Amino acid sequence: MDFFSESLHTALQLIAARDPDVVSAVTVSIVVSLWSTLFASLAGVPAGVAVAVADFPGKRAVVTLLNTLMALPTVVVGLFVYSLVSRQGPLGEFGLLFTPWAMVAGQTLLAIPIVANLTMSAIKGADPRIVPTALTLGAGPLESTRRLVIEMRFGIMAAVIAAFGRVIAEVGVAMMLGGNIRGHTRTMTTAIAMETGKGEFALGLALGLILMAVALIVNMALNTLQQR
Amino acid sequence: MRLIRLLSAALVALLMLVTVAGADERLRMSTTTSTQDSGLLKALLPPFERRHNIKVDVIAVGTGQALKLGEAGDVDVVFVHARKLEDKFVTDGYGVNRKDVMYNDFVIIGPKSDPAGIAKAKTAAEALKLLATKGITFISRGDKSGTHTKELDLWKAAGISPKGSWYVEAGQGMGPVITMATERRGYTLADRGTYNAFKGGKTDLAILFQGDKGLFNPYGIIAVNPKKFPHVKHDLAMKLVDYVTGPEGQKIIAAYKAHGEPVFFIYKK
Amino acid sequence: MSTCYNLTGIRTTYGPRTVLEIDRLTLHCGRLYILTGANGAGKSTLLSHLALLSTPSAGEIIFGGEPVRWNKGALLRQRREVTLVHQAPYLFTGTVAANVAYGLKLRGVHGDELKRRTEKALSLVGLGGFGHRRSRELSGGEAQRVALARALALETRVLLLDEPLANVDRGTSDLLTSVIAGLPATGTTVVMTTHDPDHADRLGGERIHLVAGELTHPLTGVKLSCSEGDQLCRLSPKPAASFSIA
Repeated sequence: MDFFSESLHTALQLIAARDPDVVSAVTVSIVVSLWSTLFASLAGVPAGVAVAVADFPGKRAVVTLLNTLMALPTVVVGLFVYSLVSRQGPLGEFGLLFTPWAMVAGQTLLAIPIVANLTMSAIKGADPRIVPTALTLGAGPLESTRRLVIEMRFGIMAAVIAAFGRVIAEVGVAMMLGGNIRGHTRTMTTAIAMETGKGEFALGLALGLILMAVALIVNMALNTLQQR
Repeated sequence: MRLIRLLSAALVALLMLVTVAGADERLRMSTTTSTQDSGLLKALLPPFERRHNIKVDVIAVGTGQALKLGEAGDVDVVFVHARKLEDKFVTDGYGVNRKDVMYNDFVIIGPKSDPAGIAKAKTAAEALKLLATKGITFISRGDKSGTHTKELDLWKAAGISPKGSWYVEAGQGMGPVITMATERRGYTLADRGTYNAFKGGKTDLAILFQGDKGLFNPYGIIAVNPKKFPHVKHDLAMKLVDYVTGPEGQKIIAAYKAHGEPVFFIYKK
Repeated sequence: MSTCYNLTGIRTTYGPRTVLEIDRLTLHCGRLYILTGANGAGKSTLLSHLALLSTPSAGEIIFGGEPVRWNKGALLRQRREVTLVHQAPYLFTGTVAANVAYGLKLRGVHGDELKRRTEKALSLVGLGGFGHRRSRELSGGEAQRVALARALALETRVLLLDEPLANVDRGTSDLLTSVIAGLPATGTTVVMTTHDPDHADRLGGERIHLVAGELTHPLTGVKLSCSEGDQLCRLSPKPAASFSIA
């Protein structure tokens, strides 16, 4: 128990002192994760709605694939993007490796299946009266789908929040594509991994507590957007 | 309630607008985790960064990966401690202008009681031989790092191919390996810097063998070959090389202490 | 009198089950039709077809003299001339006013006219001034009335009501009955389903009776022939003394 109280003490000290390394890591974590959650939502929400609403051959296969992609290991995504953005890769000339944007790319890929899958579930579970009601009141197919999304926005927002939680907590993509560069691509999670590797368990846990506090605040903000 | 919603949206939007792309010129250097973990770079790099108004991005990975980053052209300069691999890096055409920077040494650590009795050995290779014959737990880095390369050289010198359940190939960095050896009450080969950072709190293992010429651990800095990778910032890389091997850099290295003890030593000119 | 609907050779199946089979049915504009039948007789399916929301497995529907082509752009225009109110209607989250205004906004009605028509529809169902209330806070009867107002506001040619008087108290039932009874006079064609023979008697109108998906004589239960589908009025029981508006 000593271990935990020491970590809590360290966490509070770091926050009070506004330790620049910690502030930087928190900022990088939040910004990278928010951007990737945004991109993933722009792609994943329409995809999830489309799969839920439309009927097409091979739909079962697509749904199964989406379910499987939720379990993508972060290192696999990391390696995939790494192979694309390294100087040796097809996108090498842009020099994206070890920049925050490479991390955003990787985390977006990680988050898209989560947003799409949970959006699809939300839409599939929607009241079957919504679309016919909109249609009979004069809506076209596009407007009735828009209405459906608005009515199910609580569930869809939950999908977005879940995706955010996943990416802010992951370390595989951030480490591999960011390189844990101090003040530039070091996130809370890569910092925790590094400190743990140095045997600094209490400090690692302290950083973990700070990460949870940050995640709590961001989620509170997202949650008020969710309520209506 | 509307106001809180508005503020939350503004907070979210604001955070996202904070761009993380720095405006400064950036120089990329790959190095080993032990070098980064020693804390030397925090002391060594800032004066250079301020003087030239650039940021040095330090990517700390295993030695193998650090060199691979140079071979891919993903970094501008490489700073590792694996002489044989460094030389190959240069002869293969990936690096130019390799320079010696500093050195320290490796030590063999283990439980204070020294169950394998290696303290009595005359050479490092002999010490390892004792471990093998007695089948006492030894944790190997197993990750093609400088430490790992040194360890393999020692096994070769001892004429042994380490095999068996006593020989644990961890595939991890120095810190986690020391932790593993501590938990498993085994021995391992460690660089003195990382060991010093761990002793007194994070490990109760002691140095049981040291001082052998074979445990010498030299560090080298190499600029990535601009002929092979025209995009690398070669001028800046050479400036860093000159700084690190020059009087100012060397002074900082010699003076650097961790836990009250020097970690690296400079060559006498 | 013009014909609103001409249904020919309609047959609707869900998998192996045939839920609707109508050789011929003609509905005239400006009339009130009472659609009766036991649960599962096919009433909701028929209403759904009349609302142009679902396609029969076979057969043709001619709406207002124009054939319905189910996958063409004209469908949206045709569908906007008929409004269906579900048995247990779904109200969109938001205010009552937003719900009632929904269809109007889609048709490009804005500003003062929007407000006027919204309030008029709410008053008609006895919910004047309810506009600001949130749809999720309403009682069952109030929600049902809002759904009706939402449809009435659109003043479409055809109004289809699925059990509009179920789950409402007597007072509301009387109010809604008088509203519905008054619609044909404005030129609106109304088809409403009900379980309760009492409603049929009170409202008058022509009877459409379904048994196991087929048109049958409301009194004898004998399946109707094609020509009888054309001439429903011959079959309707004599209307009771017309309902007087209090």
